Amino acid sequence: MEELVSSTIDKKACIQCGTLINSSSRFCPICGAKQILTNELSLESKWLLLKQAALFYGIYILLCSVSKFVSFFNTLFWDLVVEVVLWITAVTFFADKWTENKRLLVWRNFSWQKLAAYLAIAMTGSVVVHYTVGWLNIAIFSKEEHYYIFARGNFFYEIVVVLLTAVTPALFEEIAFRGYLLNILLKVADAPQAIYISAFLFAIIHLSFISLFWLIPFAIFIGYVRLKEDTLWYGIFFHFAFNLTACLFELL
Amino acid sequence: METPVLTTAQPTEQCNICYKNISDEDTFCQNCGYPLKGTEQEQKDFRLQHDFRNIDLFHFNDKVRKAGNVFYYLSGIFAVSGAVFYFLKKDDPNAFAALITNLILAMVFLALGSYSRKKPLACIISGLCLYAIILVLDAIVDPISIVRGIFLKIIIIGLLIKGLKSAIEIEKIRKENNLS
Repeated sequence: MEELVSSTIDKKACIQCGTLINSSSRFCPICGAKQILTNELSLESKWLLLKQAALFYGIYILLCSVSKFVSFFNTLFWDLVVEVVLWITAVTFFADKWTENKRLLVWRNFSWQKLAAYLAIAMTGSVVVHYTVGWLNIAIFSKEEHYYIFARGNFFYEIVVVLLTAVTPALFEEIAFRGYLLNILLKVADAPQAIYISAFLFAIIHLSFISLFWLIPFAIFIGYVRLKEDTLWYGIFFHFAFNLTACLFELL
Repeated sequence: METPVLTTAQPTEQCNICYKNISDEDTFCQNCGYPLKGTEQEQKDFRLQHDFRNIDLFHFNDKVRKAGNVFYYLSGIFAVSGAVFYFLKKDDPNAFAALITNLILAMVFLALGSYSRKKPLACIISGLCLYAIILVLDAIVDPISIVRGIFLKIIIIGLLIKGLKSAIEIEKIRKENNLS
């Protein structure tokens, strides 16, 4: 019974002669008619998707570079405003493609072993980055630096810092880059290229060109995990664990 | 003793055009639509059509090559301007950081240029976004820098966008011809 179901699932009817053919076939082997593959888009719709992604990424570039390099915005208040606008941007674009994206928020085959493994990899990675390129870290976390000054010795501020450096970036950056952006790129390019592009774009938005060396492998790994597990949650957890470890180094 | 039999049997199981595996019952190739059991004329027509696609591919590859050349050009610009700035303003405390940043950018663009033939889409999107970020950062540091060399900047972005469109076409043709 199961065999019958599975054999009909990857079959489709030819659009011209109606014969059952493999769903991956581009042409009908009987009549030669060209089939429309549901997962393949036309050039125009691919270009439209890329333009949407460009709008999304343009907003990110402007907000990130202004908040980091214009001294007027270098206060805790403006940092929070920019953060909130980035969250809204990420959620809006993600929700715009809700029907395709919602399955990424389902946590199928939840497993403690996998979670523990990703926790171990994330913490090891973070420790390695901290010690080998510790001096680079200053460049990477320079934006959060003044949060730390606030936080020292004050329990309430310490919680705010953990929220702003570990919890919210993990959640919203994953939604934005591994959720919205990677999903669009997967429709335009093959999986390895899509993962690489999303990783590169994620790495350069941090605006610290020296840290590209570890940000790109970091993002490629999360992109790969997102594709393999077909859920965002392992990536969010991995990102959270990585940032939390880096954050604890500064606070303790 | 058995191997010669196997090797002679293999070519008949592959399509003459896209080299994907085919089965005896197929009248047309499932991947490229080649009329496997068609008349000689039909097969000839298909080959002709297929050659036209390859001429398209040649045209698109040319645009991607131009985009790749833009990356080499940018790489050179960053390397040279970084070095010149460093030797002119050695006393500036930021000079070394600027040199390192410029050299990293030069290396990144060099890598993007050399991989742009193999993975055109990935390289052109990455390079275009990196270039956009550099322009925005330059504009923040010095707003007049937007206007400086504006025609060159428009040409660079135009070539990259044309390359990007061609890269999407190439991906599609590669997929259809089972090349990637």
